[in-house]
This record gives sequence, C-alpha cells and structure tokens, in this order.
Amino acid sequence: MRNINAQLAGYWQASVVIVFLLTGLTSQAQTVLTVSGEVTKPLTLQAADLTAMAHTQVTGKDRDGKEHQYAGILLVDLLKQAGATVGGELRGENLTKYVLVKSIDGYEVLFALPELDPDFASRSIILADSVDGAPLGSGVGPYRIVVPGEKKPARWIREVKSIEVRFAK
Amino acid sequence: MRYWKPIFVGAIVMAGLSAWTMVDDPVPTGPYPLHYPASFGSRFTIPADNPTTQEGVYLGRLLFYEPRLSATQTISCASCHQQARAFTDGLALSIGVHGKTTRRNSMSLTNLLWVRQLFWDGRSSSLEEQALIPLGHTDEMGSKPGEAAHFLQKTKPYPALFKQVFGSDTITDVRIGQALAQFERTLISADSRYDHFLAGHYQLTESEQRGMQLFNQSPSPDRNVRGGNCAHCHGGAKLYQELFHNNGLDKQATDSGRQAITGLALDQGRFRVPTLRNIALTAPYMHDGRFNNLDQVLEHYSEHIQPSPMLAPELAGQPNGFHLTRSEKTDLISFLQLFTDSTFVHNPQFANPHLK
Ligand code: HEC
Ligand code: HEC
Repeated sequence: MRNINAQLAGYWQASVVIVFLLTGLTSQAQTVLTVSGEVTKPLTLQAADLTAMAHTQVTGKDRDGKEHQYAGILLVDLLKQAGATVGGELRGENLTKYVLVKSIDGYEVLFALPELDPDFASRSIILADSVDGAPLGSGVGPYRIVVPGEKKPARWIREVKSIEVRFAK
Repeated sequence: MRYWKPIFVGAIVMAGLSAWTMVDDPVPTGPYPLHYPASFGSRFTIPADNPTTQEGVYLGRLLFYEPRLSATQTISCASCHQQARAFTDGLALSIGVHGKTTRRNSMSLTNLLWVRQLFWDGRSSSLEEQALIPLGHTDEMGSKPGEAAHFLQKTKPYPALFKQVFGSDTITDVRIGQALAQFERTLISADSRYDHFLAGHYQLTESEQRGMQLFNQSPSPDRNVRGGNCAHCHGGAKLYQELFHNNGLDKQATDSGRQAITGLALDQGRFRVPTLRNIALTAPYMHDGRFNNLDQVLEHYSEHIQPSPMLAPELAGQPNGFHLTRSEKTDLISFLQLFTDSTFVHNPQFANPHLK
C-alpha cells in the first residue's frame, strides 16, 4: 500500500512537473506583456490573457489627423490585476509613483499613476489591440497605448512590451 | 659604423623603456569630475562600487592602450578603437589576435556614460561587464580568464597602481574591467560645431541649415514638406537615442541582431541605433561595415531601403526611401560633418599614455 501510494505520488509529482514544464515553456515562448515593479503580483501575460480581459472603446486622433476607433484594455485594469496602488490606495507617498511603458524598439514613455486612475482622470487610457475593428498593423501592434484627447500622440507608444510601476526617488 | 652602434642600442633601450610604461609621480588622485552640457541630461548610473576617480581613470587609460592584455601581447582595446577615428578602426570588420575578423563593425566609443545597452544588439548592460568580453573573445584579444590579470601582476607598475585604485594590489579581471570602465566614462564628446551652434556660438551656412531641416523633418508629400526623418532615431543634443530598429538594409537579415538577445520575432534584424557623433570619422558604416562613405549611406536611405515586416515605420512611408535630390544629399552631408568634434579626437587626456 505504501509502495503504491509512493508510486502514485511519484506519478502525480512527475505529471505536475511535466504540466508545469509545458506551461512554463509555452508561456515563456508567448509572453507578450509584463507588468512589474512596485506591484504585489507581477504579471507575465500571453496574448490570450489579454484577449480575455474586458475591452473598452475610445476614439482618438492619430498622426494622420483623423479620428479612429480603438479598442483595448484600460491600463488601470492591468494595474489593478497586478496589485498596484490605485483606487483607495492612491494617496500619500503613492502619489509619487509613475508608470514607465516600454516598447520593443526601446522607446519609453511615462505616466504619473493618477493620470491612469479613474478617481483622478476623466479620460480612459487604454492598451489598444485593435483600430477600427482590425488588429494593429506591423510596427504599431500588437499593442499600443492610446491617450484620447492628448493633442500630440507621442505617448501613444507602439509595440508595447512592458509596463513598470516605479517610485520617483 | 662605430658611431651608429651606441645610438642604435640606445634606441632599443628607449623603445624597451617606453614599452615598460613610465608612470607619473605622483599619480593624480581624487574624484574625477565629468563635464558635459546640461542638455545631455543626467540619465546615467555609475555603479556605487566603482566611482570615477583620477587614479582609476589613469589606470584605465593605461590598460586601454595595453597590448599585454591580449593573448599574443599585440592587440589592445585601442587597436580596434583608435582616437583619431573617434575610437573606431576604419575596417568593415575588425581583426583580432588570431587574424580572424570580428562578426561586426567596431563601434565608436563616445558618450558611453549615457549608453544603457551596449553593443550593436544591446546585449551588455554595464561598461564594467562589457570590457571583459573583448578581453576574452578569441576573435578579439583572446585572453583566458585570469590570464591577463596574472601577467600584469608580474608587470611593473601595475600592482602598485591597482593598490592605489582598489586598495589592494591583487589584479583581477573584474578590477581590469572596472578601471577600463572608469576611463571609458570620461570619453565625452560635446565640442563639435553642432554643439557650438546649439549653444548659440556658431552660425550655420545655408547648406547646413537646409541639411538640418532635412535631418529633423518627417516628410509629408501632401504638405510639400521634404525630410529624411533622421532625428527620430539619431536626434537630440547627444545625437543619440537608445532605440533598436531595422533600417532596411536587407529584406531578409543574415545577422538576426537584437532577436538573438530577446527571442522576439519582431526583433529580427534590428540593431541599436548608433550615435552620429563624429560620423564623418567612423567609416565604414552599419553593423557589418557595408558602406564605405556617407554618400553610400545616403544612397541607402534615399533609394535602397528594403521592405520587410520589421522595417521601422519611420522609414516605410515611401517606396525604397526618401528619394533625395543630389543637392539635398550634399546639404545633409554638410550638416552631418558638423558633428565632428576635433577637440575630442585630439584630446591629450584620451591619447596613448605609453607614448609619452
Ligand atoms: C578586435 C577588435 C576589438 C578589440 C581588440 C576591442 N574591441 Fe570593442 N568592439 C569591437 C567590435 C567589433 C564591437 C561591436 C561588437 C558587437 O556589437 O557585437 C565593439 C564594441 C565595443 C563597445 C560597445 C560600444 C557601444 O556603444 O555599445 C565597447 C564599450 C568596447 N567595444 C570597448 C572595448 C574595450 C574596453 C576593449 C579592450 C578591453 C575593446 N573594446 C577591445 C572591436 C574590438
Ligand atoms: C527608424 C530609425 C532610423 C532613422 C529614421 C534613420 N536611421 Fe540611420 N540608423 C538606424 C539604425 C538602426 C542604424 C544601424 C543599422 C545597422 O547597422 O544595422 C543606422 C545607421 C546609420 C548610420 C551609420 C552609423 C554607423 O556608425 O555605422 C548613419 C550614418 C545613419 N544611420 C544616418 C542616418 C540619416 C542621415 C538618416 C536620415 C536620412 C537616418 N540615419 C535615419 C536607424 C535610423
């Protein structure tokens, strides 16, 4: 009995290890976005994770001067999921936190944390994954920040690959 | 004949002595202030365990020019990074201790203080760590770990100098890297005619003025605006933006570049945007040294940009390039020549100290 149990436990362990390895490998191969820094639950997300999250529509004027419909995830939702200090916790020293968004090409832009929090800001900044109903094109997607109402789209950073929350030091 | 012998012997002794390195007495000590224009900004980090000191920079400079760091005692950092060429070597691919060529074109060592991701593919994140790579690479200096340190340990005046800088006369690879990094941080170029122009002390000629517009503007055919959009990637007071891009050299890159570091398909054939400081002195150009002169570079951006999914969007707007006219190319080149900093390439502080 002990033997069988031990064997079962062994199988079980082995299969857990295998499943773990498999998911580990695939998630590594497909990581499309990380959320890290001053957060309680750093995120390593795959495309499917982002597709499954609630999407919001915004309109914004791109460099071409034309209004477009963008759909994507509210940045604040990603921050909440990672356990950043938004909502009720966004006070005191947490008001000196900022979010650094980085793209594949090394471009970086910064938002103060309150700019992203609906308790402070009236506009919804999103991580867009589509424009006018189509996926974002090459050199722009798969993910791009859209800041509705901002006069110059320089913070509409393309090819987003990571979001980091930091303290101003 | 009789006459010549002593002179000849004397010459050999002199050569021997200078190869044996004469050191200033006393060696300068104290913090080493780094001077640069406010517009360069202070977005850099100097490791807390390796502050920049005069004695450290002094040692780092001796090491930078020290061929005895290489396996064959023939090649120093300065073999591939020559001051007169803004610390490049004039070759498409450099040649290391075993006579083989390096995989990529030597890079200019300029304003490294602000570079966060070193090499064409950004694979190294500190000067301290970076310096040990050419030291050990078989196609560069080819020293086995600890080999150069071991050799210097027996070589005057190094143990005493290491003691002065690190408080211990034990020479290690790590300390060699630290001293080299200290010297490299001092290689600041901020005295070109372009810097004088930014400071309001130089007036551009009409051609340079037109060249600057082409450099800075993004083209917009509907508004009749001509431009090469160069500043998007090469702009700013330092003429450097830390970005990784594919600038359309090949449809299918043979060197995967940044992708080998990140594993991302979108990084295929992307390379770090190099600084344009002293660009007129650093031919041949691009990561593989494929272009011999600036005319060929402009020919590329004007007519030969190769489309691919990785091509930077700033370069993809018009088929195969910006289609610059001959006089536009002349204007752009006269503007690029403003980036030459002759104070930098003649600064005695950066020259070979073994030749004093
Ligand atoms: C045989 C020629 C050769 C020698 C010797 C050599 N280098 Fe280099 N160096 C290169 C090449 C080629 C590159 C670009 C390599 C790449 O990106 O893969 C480079 C790149 C660098 C960079 C990166 C610059 C940047 O902007 O990212 C630094 C710093 C550097 N070398 C410092 C040194 C130091 C310090 C030494 C001496 C310990 C040294 N090199 C010796 C050829 C050489
Ligand atoms: C989208 C970004 C981008 C734009 C815009 C751009 N470049 Fe570049 N440039 C690069 C990259 C990346 C490299 C290195 C490519 C390589 O070696 O694979 C480079 C290399 C160069 C080099 C060679 C530097 C060296 O040390 O070898 C020169 C010169 C240069 N560019 C000039 C220009 C000029 C002039 C313009 C405007 C007409 C321009 N570039 C526009 C990204 C850009």
